[in-house]
Amino acid sequence: MTRLRSWLANPWGKPRFLVLFTALYLAWSIVPILVAIRFSFNEGRSRSTSQGWSLRWYTGDPDLSVLHDPTMHTALLQSLRLALIAVLVTVPLGVALAVGLTRWRGRGSGTARGVSLATLVTPEIVMGTALLLVFLNLLTFVELGTMAQAIGHITFSLVFVVIIVRARLLAIGPHYEEAARDLGASQLQAVRLALLPMLVPAIVASGIIVFAISMDDFVISNFLSSGTSTDTVPVRIYATGRTAPTPALNALATLTLGATIVIALLGFLLWRTVRAARGQAGSTVGEFAALDAETIR
Amino acid sequence: MTLHPRESRYGRRELLQRGAAGAFLLSSMGSLLAACGGSDGGSGADLTFATPENPVTWEIFEDNPMIASGLEPESGTLRIYNWNGYLWPKIKKDFAKEYGVKVEETFFSTTDEAVAKISSGAVDFDVFFPTTDRVGRLILGKSLQPLNGDYLPNLANVWASLRDPWYDKGSQYTVPYATWTTGIGYRTDKIAASPAKLANPYEIYWDEQAKGKLYLLDDSRDAPAHMLLKNGIADINTENPDDIALAKAELKSLYDQNVKTSTDDYTNLPEGKAWVHQMWSGSAISAQYYLPDGVGTDALGYWFPQDGRGVIGSDMLAIPSNAKNPVLAHHFLNYLLDAKHGYDNFVNYTGYQPPFTALNPDKLVADGVVPKNLRTAIVRESDFDVASQFTELTPTGATEWQNAWAEFKAGV
Amino acid sequence: MSDLSEQVGEDKTGTRFWAGLALPGMAWLAVFFVLPFYVILCIAFGSVDPIFQTAAPEWNPLQWNTAAFEFVLEGLFTSGAAFQTVFLRTLLYVGIATALSLCIAYPVAYYIARYGGRWKGLLLAGIIAPFFISYLMRMLAWINLLQDDGWVNDVLVWVGILDVPRNWLDGRASSVILGLVYGYVPFMILPLYAFLDRIDRSLLEAARDLGASPFQAFRMVTFPLSMPAILAGIAIIALPMFGDYYTPDLLSGAPQTSLIGNQIVLYIRGGQQIPVGAALVVVLMLFLTVLMGYYIYATARAQRRLGS
Repeated sequence: MTRLRSWLANPWGKPRFLVLFTALYLAWSIVPILVAIRFSFNEGRSRSTSQGWSLRWYTGDPDLSVLHDPTMHTALLQSLRLALIAVLVTVPLGVALAVGLTRWRGRGSGTARGVSLATLVTPEIVMGTALLLVFLNLLTFVELGTMAQAIGHITFSLVFVVIIVRARLLAIGPHYEEAARDLGASQLQAVRLALLPMLVPAIVASGIIVFAISMDDFVISNFLSSGTSTDTVPVRIYATGRTAPTPALNALATLTLGATIVIALLGFLLWRTVRAARGQAGSTVGEFAALDAETIR
Repeated sequence: MTLHPRESRYGRRELLQRGAAGAFLLSSMGSLLAACGGSDGGSGADLTFATPENPVTWEIFEDNPMIASGLEPESGTLRIYNWNGYLWPKIKKDFAKEYGVKVEETFFSTTDEAVAKISSGAVDFDVFFPTTDRVGRLILGKSLQPLNGDYLPNLANVWASLRDPWYDKGSQYTVPYATWTTGIGYRTDKIAASPAKLANPYEIYWDEQAKGKLYLLDDSRDAPAHMLLKNGIADINTENPDDIALAKAELKSLYDQNVKTSTDDYTNLPEGKAWVHQMWSGSAISAQYYLPDGVGTDALGYWFPQDGRGVIGSDMLAIPSNAKNPVLAHHFLNYLLDAKHGYDNFVNYTGYQPPFTALNPDKLVADGVVPKNLRTAIVRESDFDVASQFTELTPTGATEWQNAWAEFKAGV
Repeated sequence: MSDLSEQVGEDKTGTRFWAGLALPGMAWLAVFFVLPFYVILCIAFGSVDPIFQTAAPEWNPLQWNTAAFEFVLEGLFTSGAAFQTVFLRTLLYVGIATALSLCIAYPVAYYIARYGGRWKGLLLAGIIAPFFISYLMRMLAWINLLQDDGWVNDVLVWVGILDVPRNWLDGRASSVILGLVYGYVPFMILPLYAFLDRIDRSLLEAARDLGASPFQAFRMVTFPLSMPAILAGIAIIALPMFGDYYTPDLLSGAPQTSLIGNQIVLYIRGGQQIPVGAALVVVLMLFLTVLMGYYIYATARAQRRLGS
């Protein structure tokens, strides 16, 4: 008993309980996903009993597989389409907003900053309802469907770009631009030539985040959808998750996860290439971790 | 910048200044929006709703005319807005091939959602499937366009009573699509009792064996209707507050049975998720295709009042007024009204009977379309004379019913 | 230091330039974020078109109609009424789910922050992974496992805790609450980790050197220092949880577990009473703003106590 006590009380020893707890948590967190992915490759219709391995639900089954069932592949394409639009619009808009907000010292800048952060604390149901009512009653030229959903995604993810880029900006400081201006560059040139290249990691990271957020988004896509032709993958999961779904639904979800991972990897490789081109040394992962830490602070 | 705990960030004057600025902004925004935004509200048109005793011939409005005759069908994509599982995919494929177009179908899950989107004009579809209790408002709101009968020769295939129905005399805006009843589906192999043998058949909802396996339809009109009928109230369109309160109380008493709501009755019952399910007749018939291996069709049962005094209805086809392919849509309606296509659609997929004179209800069991134990799900033209149909509610009535339904759904 | 140099280097054209950069983003937010809030107010204070059954917004604040708000407030403050019951139920579920999440997130974050060492990167990756997986997909995974013939029942029967497979998806509060925990706990771990990582280890060592037991060191040094982190974690997951409506729909489907989000969706998605739905949304936002205000106050107080 005293040995156990002293083992537990050793301040420099490994905390066995915490290790176990963390391991259990990670298992609880990730195993269900792996199981779902496993059953997407099931030969039979069951989503809980192992019935062999096949690509039936991805491409094989002539009616119900993701490739052949129109509601399924439409959902996947719609998710990808919206995510791409979101990244292409939100990142430039967000970077400009972040740079402008961080440096702007005039009147109204405080309010502007507050408004841009307000989307972070607004639940999606509030934003979804707000946008739905706006498009139905005021801005009626926007039809429900892709345009409305894209607008919703952009509005929702803008704040994340702002946060990430702002954190990096504050860490970088104004020295480089000042140096550029001292050498004769205009304000715009200073931003473009001195600041932006330093922001590349933040820009890439925020692009990946926006892509992930958009692919995962449910409430806004659901509220602003015009019907199954503009449903995204999460919306399809919601609509059919409770009623006799086949493993094709698992396949669809797995494909979505795959797309997000691919984009994250591509972004990471892009970042690596840019750094190599610029001759920067050091680990890219380390830079990503530093970015992470800055953002959270 | 550290403030003394008693200091506030804004001085009083600044606070007032900001408040005044905000108020000014708000009211000027108000008048700006009033000037430029939003759709014009209702014109205060006379709200006469149709009932079976009081049929209505709708006006053809000048600003919502029907299309001209003799036009060629468009070559775009035909967009259909429909319930899930209510149209056989092969029909869409065959029509697409015959007319050389693409056909796209989008699903909605509740009438409320669909009507809201169609009325707002925020979606654009060519074909829609309205129900009798909503069609009046859609027509008055000019959300549906008047049909040109020259394109619809197959309308002659339909029962005489539905060619000239009470909700749209002369079939000016709609054509019939399918008929249905709302009864009670149950698993004969899981529940010992059966509604037919009970003194009050609706009591099966409170049967002990159904606890945890009970489903009502997720429809704010269908679910309370059975509660009304259980208490002998034949008028399922009543707006009497006492009746509404009674229906609400009955619904809430089912909490002890762990009741849930769903519109996927055609899978819930055969899969065993539900042992007693308020059910549409078409689902009863198509449920047989969703039974797992080893369970025969005799495991399914469907009850409808023997005296015919239950809930009956017919759904129809219509064309929204902002349809991009109206001529093609007319052709599609005509295609569905063809006796063979309608029959195939019913037999192979939907399970909902089209109201065609060529379709003999008495032959359906013999032809193997409907299993013998489910023959109560067959609909006859004469049924419409005794059973109750859903009509449109007045604004007050609709509000009261919606609140009752919301309260039930709140689990209070 | 850099603050000062920035201020010194500022001139009028500089301000205009930066404001100009921020303008497109601000304009976007003004039109698609701020304006919709005003529209919600106008609809909540408006009426319903009797024909279209759509909302008829009242744009002029002087002519606002309070009927919908009266209905909602009556439902909220009358004992036993629908809105009050659902709202209290939502508070209960969110409260329990947040507390459970904290109990799970804190040890994990603490472990990674203090003892991560070589494995820190990998552990962080494991923690961040759920962000890239759709919430719906994670719920789907759990629905799979909780079905009558799913693994949860298989394991419980095999171990002997259950005799017969139990229906976990038939409308239980516990399934919904655990679903909320599963869905939201990853969002709590990361901020907690970030804060805990910053805690100066030498403070803990000093406490131990002075004779405190590990438990005492935790209670008197680590826990108070992590208060801002805990508050932040709670704010990050509780606020969105109040708007959740899909978790009960997926994991339950019964009226007795419905949340305030479900009522909002019912009134907004068609039918006669869109203003009531809008009013519910406004009330929810006001409530969340109050919570947010409390969070800011509590964090400020905690930070003052820590002398930072």
